[in-house]
Amino acid sequence: MAAKDLVKFVAKRAITIFLVIVVAAYLTILIANMGGYVDEIMKSEIILNVTTRFQNDPQFRNYPQDVRDRLINETVTLEYKRIGLDQPFIIRSFMYLKNALTLDLGRALYLTSDSGSRMVRNIILERLPQTIMLFTTATLINFFLSLFIGLYLSRHHGSFLDRLFIAGAPTSVIPGWFYGIFLILIFAAYLNVLPYGGIIDVPPPTTTLLYALSVLKHMILPLSAWIISAFFLGAYSNRTFFLIFSTEDYVEAARAKGVPPRQIETKYILRPSLPPIITMLALGIVNSWSGAMITETVFNWRGLGLLTYAAISATDTPVIIGITVIYAYLLGATVLLLDIIYGLIDPRIKVGKGS
Amino acid sequence: MSSEGYEFTIKGTLKELITYKSGIFGTAFLTLLLTISIYTVVTLPYDQAVRLWRGEGGVWLENPRTAQPYWVKYFGQNLPETIKRDSTQSGQGGTVKIITSIPQSGMKLARISFTFDFSYDGFPSELNIFFSAKYNESAPLLNIYWVKPGGTEIKLLTYIPRSQNDKLYLSINTQVSSALMSYMSGILGKAPEVPLPTEYSLFAVEDATMNSTLTAKPLKGTYRLYIEGTLFGEDSDIDAKLIVYGKVYGLAGTDNQRRDLTVALLWGTPIALAFGLTASVMITFIELLLATISGYYGGKVDSVIQRITELYMILPFLPILIMISTFYKLDLPVLIVVVIVLSIFGGGIKSTRALVMQIKEYPYIEAARAYGASSKRIVFLYIIPKILPPVIPALIGSVPSYVFLEAALAILGLGIPNLPSWGKVINESFNAGALYKGYYYWVLEPAFMLILTALAFSFLGFALDKIVNPKLREV
Amino acid sequence: MTENILECKNLVLHYTAKKGVVKAVNDISLGLLKGESLALVGESGCGKSSLAKAIIRLLPRNIQSYTGEILIDGQDTMKLNEKQFREEIRWKKISMVFQGAMNSLNPVLKVGYQVAEPLLIHEKLKKNEAMEKAKEALSVVGIHESFVDRYPFELSGGMKQRVVIAMALVTNPAIIILDEPTSALDVITQANIMNLLKRLKKERGLSYFFITHDIALSSELADKIAVMYAGEIQEIVSADTFYKKAAHPYSQKLMASVPTLRIDKKPEFIPGAPPSLINPPSGCKFHPRCPSAFDKCAKENPPIFDLGSGHIAKCWWFEQSEGKK
Repeated sequence: MAAKDLVKFVAKRAITIFLVIVVAAYLTILIANMGGYVDEIMKSEIILNVTTRFQNDPQFRNYPQDVRDRLINETVTLEYKRIGLDQPFIIRSFMYLKNALTLDLGRALYLTSDSGSRMVRNIILERLPQTIMLFTTATLINFFLSLFIGLYLSRHHGSFLDRLFIAGAPTSVIPGWFYGIFLILIFAAYLNVLPYGGIIDVPPPTTTLLYALSVLKHMILPLSAWIISAFFLGAYSNRTFFLIFSTEDYVEAARAKGVPPRQIETKYILRPSLPPIITMLALGIVNSWSGAMITETVFNWRGLGLLTYAAISATDTPVIIGITVIYAYLLGATVLLLDIIYGLIDPRIKVGKGS
Repeated sequence: MSSEGYEFTIKGTLKELITYKSGIFGTAFLTLLLTISIYTVVTLPYDQAVRLWRGEGGVWLENPRTAQPYWVKYFGQNLPETIKRDSTQSGQGGTVKIITSIPQSGMKLARISFTFDFSYDGFPSELNIFFSAKYNESAPLLNIYWVKPGGTEIKLLTYIPRSQNDKLYLSINTQVSSALMSYMSGILGKAPEVPLPTEYSLFAVEDATMNSTLTAKPLKGTYRLYIEGTLFGEDSDIDAKLIVYGKVYGLAGTDNQRRDLTVALLWGTPIALAFGLTASVMITFIELLLATISGYYGGKVDSVIQRITELYMILPFLPILIMISTFYKLDLPVLIVVVIVLSIFGGGIKSTRALVMQIKEYPYIEAARAYGASSKRIVFLYIIPKILPPVIPALIGSVPSYVFLEAALAILGLGIPNLPSWGKVINESFNAGALYKGYYYWVLEPAFMLILTALAFSFLGFALDKIVNPKLREV
Repeated sequence: MTENILECKNLVLHYTAKKGVVKAVNDISLGLLKGESLALVGESGCGKSSLAKAIIRLLPRNIQSYTGEILIDGQDTMKLNEKQFREEIRWKKISMVFQGAMNSLNPVLKVGYQVAEPLLIHEKLKKNEAMEKAKEALSVVGIHESFVDRYPFELSGGMKQRVVIAMALVTNPAIIILDEPTSALDVITQANIMNLLKRLKKERGLSYFFITHDIALSSELADKIAVMYAGEIQEIVSADTFYKKAAHPYSQKLMASVPTLRIDKKPEFIPGAPPSLINPPSGCKFHPRCPSAFDKCAKENPPIFDLGSGHIAKCWWFEQSEGKK
């Protein structure tokens, strides 16, 4: 009985989320093409390139005018066809939409992957691991650090350490990339002990061990920047969170009953606060995939964020759309997963329509 | 159990605020920022500032390049400040200008002499002479000499100005450097291994330390530069301005385009405040309105607003903002509007909406409806005042994010062109390689302003949150 | 001969707040006999709940002083450390039914588990044994045993209150503190719960420490009444005497404020507001609102006067009666 409700609920949510993804993808397509304006830019560029190419061909000048015109027109039309500009934008936009949603991401216009592939999927997949390596690690470290410190602080409410974190919480308003600039200033420019940026030494070390160590060395500053930024606020939020939950009446009742402190922490404080905590973790991980574009730029970290920036600068719309759609799917899947987990953990949601 | 004495009014809140150290710091610094903003906007209007920052009219020419702030001398070497001597002020400060006509030849003899003391621990960064010559057909013929303390005289070069307003860059002039090279070879007995920059040769102590820039020390004493020239024409005249560029300048130093950084630091303040406050206030209020409508009216309106909110969650804010900035030319007000539009259906709506739905059920709302109050009246007179207080701390606390957003755009190179904002300064410093070349002040000063602004709002927001949020007070 | 199963001597509980020290429990002494039901009455904010929490040692974080003696079965529990207290006293000798049962139950744990939990902790029973006993406890309070697998949000207010009572009974403690157990319920449920409590007391010989601001309600269950005002006990007297002829002016005012069905009288109210526990009035705490106050009342706080047969009052009017305690 409860299972059927759950399935219905999940199905409804899945459809809603999918519709949102569709709209998001289409909007991105519209924006990335500036509603068709980019077409005009590309068209004029093609005409310019073709004309120039022919002008530079000495043979070309020998042809009579009408032959020249015909050649140019045919080549231009061929180019249009290749890129798909022969159809009006509206129709193409829906084609893009269908392709994007089925993850047929096509070929990039200008960018290539390091291995030389033009396939958008390869370009993205090549950059994804770097981003995950850096930012997902940072998110996980931040999550567990703030969880345990927050728990510790809530137990030692009012202590010096507690007051220190309360006082320091506002420092997290400064974003990670900004701390990154300072870290680069101190450790790379002034002290010269850590690299300015990039993922690997140039030239890269030959043995696997040294390679790995070099990557780790390059990870230190960006990782630290993110950890410093999130440190105080993360611990403070969790600590406040746990404190508020520990002032609940049922916690007091449990204490009165003589429930040992450890059990109170797990069953009476952590369990009820699990849904929001899991949400924070899940959303944090998904957000980390978008690659913190600015941080990657500051540290010249060749991940998804820098790729997004490069794609935008080069107006490489297939890549932009590819990244957005993949990201939308990931986010949508996470939201759906969260809804399911909520339903399983929180009994108030499981059984009925919720409160 | 409620905190005795706290009233939910502005005065009450301010009274509580003072009891928190963070509140005091936040308010104090915010007031300081506002004062700076008002002062800056009044004394240096926007258009003027933009033109100034663009360097129109060569206003910055007499400033040294990438000079540190003058107060670094308290922490280290006594680095030179800029020394200027102008022949139009003959008779003052060691400047003498004499023009004698040679009768019946149509020529005149000019003699301009600049004297100055140099007692700094470091070498100047540059030397330039700005000529303003008056002549009809032939430009004057000038011989320029340098006299070091102790009397040694060196002829630097013979120079003919190429126009009525000409600039002689002594530091990079090849004639000058070869003249100095031979002079130095004479002293040292051989040519130095690595050619010394002109400023060093002109000012260095003349011993073995002259061999390299690392060991050279400036000779302290009275220096003199004099120009002997022949002018052609009855109405001819010549004026010269000698500028010995220092390595420090002003309160904040200069950048690589010789611009006084205090202008950018000052003007960055109203820009940051305008951007941050406008975006934050507008977004918060629109979100508030949307959440209230969504929560109060429910039904289809609620569903639509919720779906749009989810849409916003999936669409990546920063890439789209960058896309728009790349494709279109934006100025400050338009950028603010774009940021607002891209943010209004943000996550804050969900929590406020939950609160609205809770308040909707309160008896006094029901009572209001019973006596015939319209929905609009209920929303504006009852619900919004109730959900406003919890929202204010978040509003204040989110201002820094927008300030950093503008800075981020500038650092990525997408900022508003010609806008002297803090982010822009950092961006330019990076492009000029400030980190590699050690121009740390150039990065640190705008960064410092950003940090202080962010912390001020952040501390204030946290303090307000503790006051306004009842659950946090017990904790 | 009955002895006090619970006795407080000079109990003090002060805690620090931002504006000063809250003297919630200010030198309180009282006793509860075995099988007796003591009702502690007073206005909101006079410290009743703090007294209950002081007895069962549910202390806030910002304690300033916590002194005195609490004797349960002759043993001074104040001398026990937290671990001993938890293992020997909590739910073994004394349990508590909280105010606002809705919030006393953990929303993410099943009802049956929560009732069985004290057994798992204190009597180290196995899971199924404990659940059996939990089912028994639930049926005693009138809740069907199928509810063991339900969650608190599936129960009505009255049912939740019964669950909390079952939870307090399951380890068979001798003393139960009830802090406003029915204040959030409708009158019919209230009546049912009161009947249940009366029945349990008779069947099991329980001793109740019953806290309420509702004088009329107290009459259902009380053998003895203790009146509390501004953190201090003002009068302790048998219930019958209280309802007919309370001694302390405050008690009289309380009685006068209760509307009666059969006698035609206008309920009076006590002018003024309850005093602050941080800055209480000088002398007798009640004197600003007392109709019988005279000049000594404003200057000195009266001690407890023994009026005989266990009747005590804290009022200068009784200085002439029996020696001071």
